Amino acid sequence: MNYFTVLITLLRDRDNFVEEIHHKARLKTKITALLISSSIFLAIYGGIIGAFASPLQVFASAIKLPALYLITLIICLPTLYFFNAFFGSKQSIGQNLALLLTAISITAVLLFSFAPVTLFFLITIRNYQFFILLNVVIFSLTGFIGISYLYQIMRPESEQLGPTSASSVEASIGDDFVVADADQKSNKRSNKITDPALKTRTNILRFWLGLYAFVGCQLAWTLRPFFGAPGQAFELFRPREGNFYLSVIQSLLEILTN
Amino acid sequence: MQSDLKALKIGEGELETLSGLDVNDIFVGGIFGGTYRPSVWRDSKKLFFFCLTEVSVFVLILVFTLPVGFILTQDSTQGGEIQRTLQFLTINLSVAFVLILGWNFYLWSKQKSLASLANLLDEVDKYNEVIKAVEIIDKLAAIGHLPANLINRDGVLEALRVTKESLVCSLMTEKILRQHKSFIARRQELFINIENNLLTLRTLEVNSQASEYGRLLNEALEIGMSVYKEVKKLQS
Repeated sequence: MNYFTVLITLLRDRDNFVEEIHHKARLKTKITALLISSSIFLAIYGGIIGAFASPLQVFASAIKLPALYLITLIICLPTLYFFNAFFGSKQSIGQNLALLLTAISITAVLLFSFAPVTLFFLITIRNYQFFILLNVVIFSLTGFIGISYLYQIMRPESEQLGPTSASSVEASIGDDFVVADADQKSNKRSNKITDPALKTRTNILRFWLGLYAFVGCQLAWTLRPFFGAPGQAFELFRPREGNFYLSVIQSLLEILTN
Repeated sequence: MQSDLKALKIGEGELETLSGLDVNDIFVGGIFGGTYRPSVWRDSKKLFFFCLTEVSVFVLILVFTLPVGFILTQDSTQGGEIQRTLQFLTINLSVAFVLILGWNFYLWSKQKSLASLANLLDEVDKYNEVIKAVEIIDKLAAIGHLPANLINRDGVLEALRVTKESLVCSLMTEKILRQHKSFIARRQELFINIENNLLTLRTLEVNSQASEYGRLLNEALEIGMSVYKEVKKLQS
């Protein structure tokens, strides 16, 4: 079975793919395929960024980059699922996982699409700070697109199946016109009732996206180095000190005051 | 593909609805929670993809067990960085190896319970291949490469329709039996006990027909026996 077929299906028809997840169609296949294909793409990009330092860093980063994204997902998944379930979501944990993996796979594909660009600058410019900042921009851009897409597909409104689809089927049966009309009215009433819950779940999603970014950045800092400092010996993991945000500011200052 | 032929094809979505499990060429019930289809060993292409899946799962396990190696080597001060890396790799690879062995054992243990479904899925594959063959004949006949009456198309479609009905019925029956397997197994023990108790009751010098308790027990035993016979018929 070709796992990339599922990924290609996702890229070609994202709406239908998400709709299938909402209907729990072939969920396990989707989850497995997205896990494997996103890991492969992230490993390839991780290998490229590790190539700046040494061959050992290539292997280390090839394992660390998929670990960063997937472990962040696993850490943050229970929070999203239980909060949503508490405020009325009917989605299972499998559906939540599949939707999150959809966004991560898109991020992985976008990162993979930047691989030739990164490789080009790796070969032509041997400036560590520039390489770091280039990758901060790439990771930020791909991460932003991935998270925006995740926000679209995980919004509580997208979870609701349109009442028009159900009522149009019933309207085709002559006797059920009254039933269809009553059905639409009750759906409108129930939507009004659940509006506060929908708003709460939208806010939960926004909070969770912030949490995801925060956990992700901290995990990235914990698992460093991904690039490996030039001239320094290979380090598997650096000692736990400082934080991600301070490091970005220091890199900017070093570039500007070179 | 002509619409009448398209309607006869059993797609993966329909298979999932009929069997209640996510099925594909290699796995039944997904990679985690299901098992591989025995047909994997008979086809070199499927075997290759199965081996690729094993490697991919091993890499995935390595990725997810990274925190284990990280926590255990974090405070290690013995030797240099290479020593620490080797220690990390040893821990990670050992844990990943144990987990992948466990996963393969789980796949093997699920084989028996999904064997009949796997056989049915092989029949569905053969059925879909026949549909593909008819589609190819249709396309060749349309461009004039083959005579239009090479096969009795209506007869073939009718046979395929009947085959599809029996395949659908078999898949649904298998699904019901599989989902209620433990219930049927428990009830089999109960029915055996009821049979033994019925014999014991009959040897006792009690006029079971006269007492209310005896009448109700007899009715329950008769119902139980007839259900037991129906279940046996369904299984055979």
